[in-house]
Amino acid sequence: MNKRPSSTNAFVRFNDAVGDQWSQISDRLLVSRGASRMLILVILSFAFFAALNPSVFLSPLNLQNIAVASPEVGVIAIAMMLAMLTGGIDLSLVAIANLSAITISTLYSAVAAGNPAAAEQLTPVLVLIGLVVGLLGGLFNGFLVSRVGITPILATLGTMQIYNGIAVAWTGGSTLYGSPEVLTAIGHATVAGVPMLFIIFLLTAGVIGVVVSRTPLGLRIQFQGANPVAARYSGINSRRVLMSTHVVAGLLGGLAGVLFIARNPTASADYGASYVLLVIVIAVLGGTNPAGGFGTVAGVVLATLTLQIVSSGFTAVRLSAYEYAMAQGVILILVMVADQVTWRRRRRPQTTPVDPVAVGT
Amino acid sequence: MNTSGSSVSVLRRLRGANNEGVLALILIGLVLAMSAANPAFFTLPTMFAIVRSSIVPLIFALGVLIVIISGGIDVSFAAIAVFAAYTTVRFSTSITDPGLIGAFALALLVGAGLGLVNGAVIARFKLPTLIVTLGTQGIFKGALLTYIGSRYIADLPGSMAAVSTTNVVEISVDGRDAYLHVMAVPALLLCLAVAWMLRRTMFGRGIYAIGGDQEAARRAGFRVVRIQVLMYVLVGMLAAVGGMAYQIMGRSSSPQELVGGELDIIAAVVLGGASIFGGRGSVLGTTLGVLVVQVIGNSLILAGVPSAWQRAAVGGLLIVGVGVQALAAKKSGRRVHTNVDDPAPEPEPEAEREREGARA
Repeated sequence: MNKRPSSTNAFVRFNDAVGDQWSQISDRLLVSRGASRMLILVILSFAFFAALNPSVFLSPLNLQNIAVASPEVGVIAIAMMLAMLTGGIDLSLVAIANLSAITISTLYSAVAAGNPAAAEQLTPVLVLIGLVVGLLGGLFNGFLVSRVGITPILATLGTMQIYNGIAVAWTGGSTLYGSPEVLTAIGHATVAGVPMLFIIFLLTAGVIGVVVSRTPLGLRIQFQGANPVAARYSGINSRRVLMSTHVVAGLLGGLAGVLFIARNPTASADYGASYVLLVIVIAVLGGTNPAGGFGTVAGVVLATLTLQIVSSGFTAVRLSAYEYAMAQGVILILVMVADQVTWRRRRRPQTTPVDPVAVGT
Repeated sequence: MNTSGSSVSVLRRLRGANNEGVLALILIGLVLAMSAANPAFFTLPTMFAIVRSSIVPLIFALGVLIVIISGGIDVSFAAIAVFAAYTTVRFSTSITDPGLIGAFALALLVGAGLGLVNGAVIARFKLPTLIVTLGTQGIFKGALLTYIGSRYIADLPGSMAAVSTTNVVEISVDGRDAYLHVMAVPALLLCLAVAWMLRRTMFGRGIYAIGGDQEAARRAGFRVVRIQVLMYVLVGMLAAVGGMAYQIMGRSSSPQELVGGELDIIAAVVLGGASIFGGRGSVLGTTLGVLVVQVIGNSLILAGVPSAWQRAAVGGLLIVGVGVQALAAKKSGRRVHTNVDDPAPEPEPEAEREREGARA
């Protein structure tokens, strides 16, 4: 090092400084890109199907269907994004949601058998209990991940089986009917043409978005996922962060259960089985880094809408659900490949200037 | 580790590199407990029934094991299986029956092709395996239902139907007939072949090496991309065999089946001691894991517990199994199944690898 003339050192320093600046700028670009790319995809897919079959696709009924179908998937996808932010994953979310819906339905039916009016009045309590079920599910996940130290994918794979097993055993595998009429009314209600469920979805997304980007907890969650070692040395209590993340995710799972039952006054153990993998697709599509550290709520919301638009668009132009499944896979892989290619291009200028220095010493 | 005396090291050896010993104990304990509780359990027909129900999960589990050892997760194997098997049946019933060997060759070809898609995307673009196989799962299933067919086929082609009713062992015990389905033979052979490949071939060692540390494997001279692509082709072919076995034993062919049960198989493999981080896992452990899951299911039915609790029981066992490992690792200062703190590489797999490498 000492042999080298100071001019090279200055040059290296200058080079590093430029490199740092560049990576900061491009990082910022990437942050906004996650959401803005999805915004472009939403608009493109919407315009595409609107052009193909405007009479069906643009009908108020179809648009309302999109808005009614997205919330339950979207809320779970946001929860999945939270788990992914810490570098984990939560496979048990759909099982938690179903357990919450089943709890509400069972309790309602039990009370309504004796006194229907009282059961209706108890609706807020029932919803609260549904959320508590989600909270408890998340608490157990968090305990396994943060205290026992099980890898999230294994812990939640196990709890998914447990929660789902409990739900199947509880319901005997059959569909439960009976839910508070108020919830059903909310499920069908619209405000200025916009379904109530969709508004609830946006509100939830807004709250979580603020938590992630504006609170110390959100910052810790992102830091934990970006670099667990650095987070630990910075004095972040990773146990507490992981615990809070899974509790919030579980709570969102419980909320999704309430949305299930509001949209459809039934509850069953195997509802939304395909959601488990679908929400991973949505989270990743929305720009969430599955390795942790990066993801935006806006990206996830827009990704939810994109997939829902493509889904109903396919129906509008008379393509089958099977072709939708294919499109889903193709979109996911294409987006990942595009990400990968741009990542590589961004990394190259950073690594090349380092090499001559390494050779020189 | 060895400071605490030789008895500990003997115990460790009995336990096996991937807790196979513990799993075997659990299996024996389960069988004994069930036999004591219900004499109907400890009979040849029951044993054969458990083996029969393990055949298809076992073949799938072998493929999942290989991918998990390499540090990946494959959720597309069920889609590949149903794609390959249904395409074969559709071809055989509508065009010409190629015979049993021809049918399997066709299924293997399709499985290899689909596996190649997985391998190419994963190795070429270095994408997370879970995400890629999620995508290909949707593509494969969608393509199958859109372009090949979505109809349930009740009658298998003659060559396959003949195998459906063939048993390799038929014994009559106390007036009850015990049958062992002939598909148990290829399943066993596949187990031996995969075990041999993983332990004795350079290719197999390469898979462990990639799972341990991809960059280290590359620097050690393993051709990572080639091994990955080949491996996914192989896993696709295993899935195809699993799909064929499923349809032959189920005596029908439906494109809507299998997909959705991936996580159950992965749970069995993880239960069998394979590390989700790659680099460790064994065929013996996986076989025991699959058997434990099946025995639990069978015992619950015999014990009069609704079969619905089977999933919860397997999930609970998975949590307890992995949890005990994680806690033990925490106590001994190592970090295995955790991302709470820094995922320091544990020294054990390396030592294991060297030992086995020297033996090979």
